[in-house]
Amino acid sequence: MNFTPKILAYVCTYCTYTAADMAGSARMQYPATVRIIKYLCTGRIDIIHILKGFEAGADAIFVGG
Amino acid sequence: MIIAERKPFAEIKAMLAPYKKILIVGCGTCVAVCLAGGEKEVGLLASQLRLALGLEDKRLEIGEITVERQCDLEFLRPLCDFTADYDAIVSMACGAGVQFLNQLCSLHPVFPAVNTTFIGVNNAVGHYTEACRACHNCYLGITGGICPVTMCPKGLLNGPCGGTVNGHCEVDPEKECAWSRIYHRLELEGRLDNLREILPLHPHNRTTTPGTVIHPAYKRRYGPNE
Repeated sequence: MNFTPKILAYVCTYCTYTAADMAGSARMQYPATVRIIKYLCTGRIDIIHILKGFEAGADAIFVGG
Repeated sequence: MIIAERKPFAEIKAMLAPYKKILIVGCGTCVAVCLAGGEKEVGLLASQLRLALGLEDKRLEIGEITVERQCDLEFLRPLCDFTADYDAIVSMACGAGVQFLNQLCSLHPVFPAVNTTFIGVNNAVGHYTEACRACHNCYLGITGGICPVTMCPKGLLNGPCGGTVNGHCEVDPEKECAWSRIYHRLELEGRLDNLREILPLHPHNRTTTPGTVIHPAYKRRYGPNE
């Protein structure tokens, strides 16, 4: 069985999201199973956000900030 | 305020094993400040339980609610309307709140989710230290605002024991001797004469549990205190 993990990406709108935007402009690809959630600042991330992500069915959570 | 620590997750999970529908009740006062049982911690515990039981293919229906103070009838009574549908209740309040909730919701088992530790102060975020033993007889006016009952592991009322070494405690050498602190504080305040007063035996008879206090203005309503 080919397992493709569903990954939630919690990203900072100022750095990681902007970088992802630039990567997109450069036609770089990322898997469709990665879903981006923007934070104004990843300092806002709380343990409950991570738990809720897993409860919602994520296999992994990536934090970029 | 009352300081508490959340119980280990495995202990909470084991207590709730026989039940299918539980209500987690948080308390928005002391235990919320010490990050053990407030609204946020209710959400965390509920999420942890859902995830852990989900991994075992078990289903637990969880209700979440937080009241301002579980030790206060005014805030607790309205909760009774919510509890009827649940198999068990988990209280994240201190021991007083758990027992008050248990008294009020007499048809459901009530489980504690925190261990109540002491009456203390909030030094900084996440750092709490014990400050009061609720001993019924406050000496702070005589001892320079430093409590010998709490700060001295032996609760000595008239000066240090023979185990004090360079102002440190023999029970825990990391800690300052309470009586050394009291001496230096009184010296600073020019009140060293206070130490000439011999404090009488501590009235341990008053600390018999459970204690009751009736405010003088309400004596006619509830009867005399003693």
